[in-house]
Amino acid sequence: MRGSWTRPLAGLSPRASARFWAASFLGPLGLWCAVSYLPFLWHPMMRVTDPGDSAWMTTGELVDRAAFATENAEVAGRHGRIAAGRPANPVFLPAPHEVARALVTGFTTPPARPEEPWLHQALWHSIQVIFWGFLLSSLVGVPLGILCGALPAMGRLTEPFIEFFRYLPAPAFGALAVAVLGIEDAPKVSIIFIGTFFQQVLIVANTTRRIDPALLEAAETLGASRRALVTKVVLPGIITDVYTDMRVLLGWAWTYLIVAELIGVSSGITYFINQQGKYRAYDRVFASIILIGLIGLLTDLVLASLGRQLFPWMKTAKEGWFSRTIAKVRGRGRGRPDAPVVPGSETAEEAARA
Amino acid sequence: MSTEVTSMAAPLVVPSYLEQAPEVAARFSRLKQRPVILEVRDLSKSFTSPGRPPTVALDRISFQAHRRELVCVIGPSGCGKSTLARLVAGLEEPSGGEMLLDGKPIRGPGSDRGMVFQSYTLFPWLTVLKNVMFGLEVGGQMSHAEAESEARTWLEMVGLTKFATAYPHQLSGGMKQRAAIARALANRPRMLLMDEPFGALDAQTRCQMQSYLLQIWRQVDITILFITHDLDEAVYLADRILILDAHPGRLRELMEVAVPRPRSADQFLSPAFVAARHHLEELIHPRANQAADKLPAFRMTVVGDEVE
Ligand SMILES: Nc1ncnc2c1ncn2[C@@H]1O[C@H](COP(=O)(O)OP(=O)(O)OP(=O)(O)O)[C@@H](O)[C@H]1O
Ligand SMILES: [Mg+2]
Repeated sequence: MRGSWTRPLAGLSPRASARFWAASFLGPLGLWCAVSYLPFLWHPMMRVTDPGDSAWMTTGELVDRAAFATENAEVAGRHGRIAAGRPANPVFLPAPHEVARALVTGFTTPPARPEEPWLHQALWHSIQVIFWGFLLSSLVGVPLGILCGALPAMGRLTEPFIEFFRYLPAPAFGALAVAVLGIEDAPKVSIIFIGTFFQQVLIVANTTRRIDPALLEAAETLGASRRALVTKVVLPGIITDVYTDMRVLLGWAWTYLIVAELIGVSSGITYFINQQGKYRAYDRVFASIILIGLIGLLTDLVLASLGRQLFPWMKTAKEGWFSRTIAKVRGRGRGRPDAPVVPGSETAEEAARA
Repeated sequence: MSTEVTSMAAPLVVPSYLEQAPEVAARFSRLKQRPVILEVRDLSKSFTSPGRPPTVALDRISFQAHRRELVCVIGPSGCGKSTLARLVAGLEEPSGGEMLLDGKPIRGPGSDRGMVFQSYTLFPWLTVLKNVMFGLEVGGQMSHAEAESEARTWLEMVGLTKFATAYPHQLSGGMKQRAAIARALANRPRMLLMDEPFGALDAQTRCQMQSYLLQIWRQVDITILFITHDLDEAVYLADRILILDAHPGRLRELMEVAVPRPRSADQFLSPAFVAARHHLEELIHPRANQAADKLPAFRMTVVGDEVE
């Protein structure tokens, strides 16, 4: 049987899905390995293993290929001993194994100077800045967005200005933030806030407007008050979509982190990366960048899994660690109502109509 | 084959749709003694959208529905059937005329008029049981436990007890509409408005749903306004049928269905049923109009490759 994954919007089997997931990481990793370990791919430099009679090359030095060849031609012209070397990549592209080693040693190597943070301290600092910035933004932005989406007057009153404000680049407020909030973490949190908040309001408002109006009408004919329409129809009706929006927005918050951390006293993972760059420890730079990616990916995976358990009415809903924990805490045997009823028996009964 | 032969030998004599058996006539006179639940007077509705001439969806419609009557509304597409149901539900504002429920003017939606829509409108985030409890809980007069036991009674009435804890996406179309009926009825409304509720179902399920509806209606004090475009459905269900004309939507006729109750699927071939259906057919698809149903002819196949 031919695979059905060429059909638009076809479902993927869990196995195929897992394979494609793995392939999406193995692909870029393979490319990186190829460029790093196949000497005939790229490798624009030479690592000098023996300088020979060259006047200026030293062992272990990285030399441009063209310069290496010219120097050797000149040395050969003088009937001198030519230099030996092997093809290498520039210092800013370390090989995967070097980065992997840096990933491990990064946590065990003390910082070069005592006032610098350890890698894990830098990361933890960054996570805190993101957390507070995103939390504060969500606490205001999500309710405001829902209000803007649900009440046209509110939307009209708020959204045009936000639409204007969101084009102002968040980093532009750096100087102002420092002047008002000092040089420690507060201005950094505020940049994450500014970067997230305005998008958040607009996106959540749009999501709110996408709720099926027939559901609101049905609720009205059931006697729901305006307040109940918001709390009992709009909120549960959009919560799954808002949850997805939040996952996307959290990713955006990370992109603001780098500018935020340069403001005032440079700190967190940005400061760490910059320091390593100064020491030309590019394996550590890469290791730190990859760590940020891993944290983001892991957060998203956890949130996705949590989402499937929080919203048992979704078609993708699943039992899992979270619902089991909740069930245990409640001291009951089940995490969600015993939902999976097979409609088959009933439809058969329907078919045998009177 | 055999039915064809007999029908040719003795052509069916279609009686007048106005002819009522004595017990049917007696039933109608009793029905008209009952109090009027819904009174619609000169109801008009036109829609205006910028840049287009206003559409008159309904033009001065008047009728009454008595307590526990089942009124069907039928008419060609676009004649304003849905608009009528939405006006009575309070989901649209009339442009003219008035509507009285139990003598009180209708203003906005309320729990005294339940509605079942053609599109499925169960709340996807609530189980079937919680859906049925929705109206009881937002009404606020009942405790959670009372609401739950009340809702369970209604689920039992529509035969969905086993599916109380299922979510809407786990139900078939027919089951969703039954749950929607239970949800609307749990509020004990005075009227149930149904806008082509079985339109999206297959023929067999629809037939079964019609039979369910009649059973429920017999046991509950409810007046039903049932919108449909299916002639058989209208004759099978209705006491009286409101026939609308399109563009503008005007009341063509308020027809009494002379088919005796209780109704059953066996009556589809009874003379009274055939007469009523025949009359509807004449009104809605007049013979003179059939020429207009012809499409312009373009031959896209070779000569001699005919299908008829
Ligand atoms: N919101 C609206 N805005 C503008 N015109 C509308 C609106 N709703 C309905 N109409 C118009 O009113 C007329 C009646 O519409 P309605 O939906 O009541 O018809 P219907 O009888 O229910 O048709 P169908 O059998 O196809 O459901 C149509 O001509 C339609 O174009
Ligand atoms: Mg309609």
